[in-house]
Amino acid sequence: MEAASFAAGRVRRASALAWVRGLLSSYGLYVALLALPLVYGINDLQHAHNLTRLGQNLVNGLSNGAIWALVALGYTLVYGIIELINFAHGDVFMIGSFASFAFWTTLGLTVATSVLGLVGGLLVTLVVSMIACGALNVMIERVAYRPLRNAPKLAPLITAVGFSFILQNVGELWLGPAQHNVSDLIHAQQKVFSISGVVVNRSDLLALAVTAPLVILLTTFIARSRLGKAMRATAQDPEAARLMGINVDTTISAAFALGGMMAGAGGLIYALYQTNIWFFQGFRAGLFAFTAAVMGGIGNLRGAVAGGLIIGCVQQISDNRFGSQWTEAIVFGYLILVMVFKPQGLFGEQTREAG
Amino acid sequence: MDLSMLGALTRPLREIVANKWFNRIAVPVVIGFAIVFPLFFVGASPFINNTVQALVYVVMALGLNVVVGFAGLLDLGYVAFYAMGSYAIGWFGSEFLYPVNHQKGVHFLVSRLPGSLPGVHINFFIVIVIAAALAAAAGAVIGLPTLRLRGDYIAIVTLAFGEIIGNIAANGDQLHFGQYTLTAGRQGITPVDVPNLPGVGDFSPLNNRPWYYVALALVLIVLFCNVRLRDSRLGRAWIALREDEVAAASMGVPIVRTKLLAYATGAAFGGMAGVLLSSYTNTVNADSFNFSFSIFVLAMVILGGLGSIWGVVLGALALSYFNTYGIPDVLGPFLKNFGLDVTQLGFGIFGFVLVLMMVLRPQGLLPERRRKLEMTQGIGADESLVEVNA
Amino acid sequence: MMGTGCTLVAAIGIAACGSSSSSSSSSSSSGSSSGGGKSLTIYSSLPLQGTSRGQSEAVVNGAKLALQQAGGKVNGLNVTYTSLDDSTAAAGKWDPAQVAKDAQQAASDSNSIAYIGEFNSGASAVSIPILNRVPLLQVSPSNTAVGLTANVPGATPGEPAKYYPTRKRNYGRIVPKDTIQAAALVALMKSDGCKSVYVLNDREVYGQGLATNVALAAKTAGLKVDGNQGIDPKAPNYRSQASQIHSPCFLFSGITANNGVQVYKDIAAADPSAKLYGPDGVAEAAFTTNEPAGLQGRTQLTVATLDPKAYPAAGRAFFKQFSATYNVASPDPYAIYGYEAMSVVLDAIKRSGSSSRQSVIDAFFQTKNRSSVLGTYSIDANGDTTLTTYGVYKVVGGKLVFSKSIKVKPGA
Repeated sequence: MEAASFAAGRVRRASALAWVRGLLSSYGLYVALLALPLVYGINDLQHAHNLTRLGQNLVNGLSNGAIWALVALGYTLVYGIIELINFAHGDVFMIGSFASFAFWTTLGLTVATSVLGLVGGLLVTLVVSMIACGALNVMIERVAYRPLRNAPKLAPLITAVGFSFILQNVGELWLGPAQHNVSDLIHAQQKVFSISGVVVNRSDLLALAVTAPLVILLTTFIARSRLGKAMRATAQDPEAARLMGINVDTTISAAFALGGMMAGAGGLIYALYQTNIWFFQGFRAGLFAFTAAVMGGIGNLRGAVAGGLIIGCVQQISDNRFGSQWTEAIVFGYLILVMVFKPQGLFGEQTREAG
Repeated sequence: MDLSMLGALTRPLREIVANKWFNRIAVPVVIGFAIVFPLFFVGASPFINNTVQALVYVVMALGLNVVVGFAGLLDLGYVAFYAMGSYAIGWFGSEFLYPVNHQKGVHFLVSRLPGSLPGVHINFFIVIVIAAALAAAAGAVIGLPTLRLRGDYIAIVTLAFGEIIGNIAANGDQLHFGQYTLTAGRQGITPVDVPNLPGVGDFSPLNNRPWYYVALALVLIVLFCNVRLRDSRLGRAWIALREDEVAAASMGVPIVRTKLLAYATGAAFGGMAGVLLSSYTNTVNADSFNFSFSIFVLAMVILGGLGSIWGVVLGALALSYFNTYGIPDVLGPFLKNFGLDVTQLGFGIFGFVLVLMMVLRPQGLLPERRRKLEMTQGIGADESLVEVNA
Repeated sequence: MMGTGCTLVAAIGIAACGSSSSSSSSSSSSGSSSGGGKSLTIYSSLPLQGTSRGQSEAVVNGAKLALQQAGGKVNGLNVTYTSLDDSTAAAGKWDPAQVAKDAQQAASDSNSIAYIGEFNSGASAVSIPILNRVPLLQVSPSNTAVGLTANVPGATPGEPAKYYPTRKRNYGRIVPKDTIQAAALVALMKSDGCKSVYVLNDREVYGQGLATNVALAAKTAGLKVDGNQGIDPKAPNYRSQASQIHSPCFLFSGITANNGVQVYKDIAAADPSAKLYGPDGVAEAAFTTNEPAGLQGRTQLTVATLDPKAYPAAGRAFFKQFSATYNVASPDPYAIYGYEAMSVVLDAIKRSGSSSRQSVIDAFFQTKNRSSVLGTYSIDANGDTTLTTYGVYKVVGGKLVFSKSIKVKPGA
């Protein structure tokens, strides 16, 4: 647009600038990500002469992040295929919590239920919640997104927000406007073991124990199964996939179903982990999880999980060091950093390939 | 009711709006009506009250229309500019900056009452200009990180900014600058100065008419700016940018400047509306700067028709009245028959309307001509499903 | 008591602009509005939706009972009562736009003579300046934030003058302000043997103001304050925040609707031996019924309401009457404040001998040694009550159980 200047000094300065910019865009994000733990690690070593506090933050962060990871998987699956930010996804996750709570109450699970009954009951609840949320997500896709396949891109985004409001209203009518405290079935804050002062609670174990197998199952399914291949093909090029005989509509529905199921599982863990559920919990969960999905490189399953765990850790460090009131700003600050430095995400290179 | 039917219903309306005689005759008539009609209501009439709010939303929607409608940059954090405007009047038109000038206050062109109070008190109309400048600067800053991004990613970054600004507004009372803090936090700033304009009456909570005229004047100014901008070189650059960024760049449109100007212009209008709304509700409340506000304004733009100025005005008025009258007074009694309490269904109904609106008429009530062509002739259809990743 | 801001507002910008006129819903008139001549209207504005619904209903019922006992008339004029709602459904608590609307409605009614409310201090900060311009007498049954009436430690700069643009007072309250509650809380903690206390607050007018007052009172009483930090009411949990707290005693200065129960759960789990305290902001059913059984014995709350038995004869008669009229076994602590708010307003109208708004305000501020259901009190120049007694309640079996009363020396 402007005539380029060929003065030598300018070029050198420009190249130096480009070098700095290159450096920033390749490593800036990693520096930003590591800044918090590094600063506080050194700080802890200086003051307490151990890393217990940071370790505790990270343990809590990983288990909290496991929930975000499950929600993030749904975002990344859907965005990878139809490039839609499914704003209603966080609220599907919220419905998962509510449905889990309602179902285990129906089953009659209480704090007094025997261990065996509790494990069995919660497993059934997990399945029910996953199916309910998967079905709900598919239904939303049919009603709100499919009719708009050929509409301007903004249209499905707005219907997504519309559904998000509808689901929130359902949640509010269901259990009222304030946080609803649910019975602490698993004694979430009971210590299981500790390593040099870092305590691992039951809730931490539960979150990781449910998330890990689900993630492995999902990645294997996407990588190995026929439907998984169809999903990856559709993500890469919907038109080509259609020409190759793949039923794109079915594939998209499957992505929504899988995403919903992950959200349902996340919803149950959330209810057990936090011991309170709230009609508005999905809003923040959705934004955090979307941040995680973007951080990991949208469309990349492993990236989404990694992103979720990172967001969880950032969140816990912020809660612990600055107080919970600043956490939202800090997490979203990270989101903007990711977008500025690496819009393709930390593991973005393999986006299309990884499904 | 399918799409074509709705289209057929609104076609005459669109043709009328497109007619030049409409602009020559109808516009003065509408403006004249707008000036006269409050005289038929008492000053404290709730209808005027709701109309003032609706007009403020018209200003906001017209501002967002510049960003989303003209330039095609999806902004989900528009509430940030409402916040900037609110804090402009909070800082420069209340007792918030209490210690300034040894608690005697700083006063500039204000009447006797705020003129005797501590804090900074600058004339309302000057604060509106300050707010426009502040918000424009904030808009450009928010725009910067989105320059390399496209579509949904812009939406997410702006959303994050909106949330961060809300968070800072709520926690700003802990950010100290000497004896000052950035905001009053969740405690809010109350009360806020009112405009001081001789001749239109007393700006009190008991008399909504002067408020109405200030809001109407603001709407007319912003409307004028919008029309002029749309038909200017800059406006055409925005539309070129929206249609095809690469083509626009190769045709010599300065992308960075054009994008930032879009953000700044839209933000300035939002800031001005924010001043008026905060002064009118007499409070700057950090809790009102939330995501759903952005969505509410965006829905007005989309309902009216992206990029279409008269459509956006219509959309803003329609949604605003739908909220203040449609939901409680029309749907309320209807839902009561089914044993439902409409006060508990407000945002569910709103969400339902959003979905319905998009499914039935994604192009809006009065779509911009260019957009209509896209919709019917499939130009730009490649945007929909297979857009290149950001 | 309390102040607040609408927290979870999120979905609510919308309901804030909408759901408006329905708010004026539960309007009910007790006196007969038939007869000729001028009639007076008393408004109340309270959060009728959300967690505070129960208390608001108790206030409304108390006010109705008072008006009914007065025969719906004062000085021969009919008095009607209209109850407005300052909350929105999705916020589940008061909303600033809604408060402003309520105040405008009362202000624009030429028959309005007084305004009972708001329930939350943050809300009153919005409505006082509006009604001050009328002027209309405003009496709150529950606000405790100091800055609304007095420029004493704990108030923010500019308070309370900034709420009164005409520089003349029109607002008063019949509950003791937070300096009294803070002193009562500190006295309670001292008597329980607390050496130091950690305070978390919900960062609203009420929560943050009370926390400041507690810190001030603690300093005078020699109780160490280990920290005073804000929380995010939207956070799912406070475990990381709680793990930093190692104080023998803990106080949450905030309201139930701001995730109060979760705060106590996480604090109690982080330190199983900490003693837990709370103000009137959490002294409501939404809190007591949701607090896990394990924590209930450990939690003590202060409320300006005393045990029915500790009240003067008139107060005891009120509880009896209220229980009979509304068929409730144990009235909500706020019922008596609703009753007294209406009574003192009617008394002011009666003594003013006219229906001019200014003279009613003047009569209210001249209230001296009024023997009421709450005991004998006066209203000082700031509009504050001279009562200083607080009740200490324990949470037992999901209910508030009165344990003792604490009388604070005025000026504490």
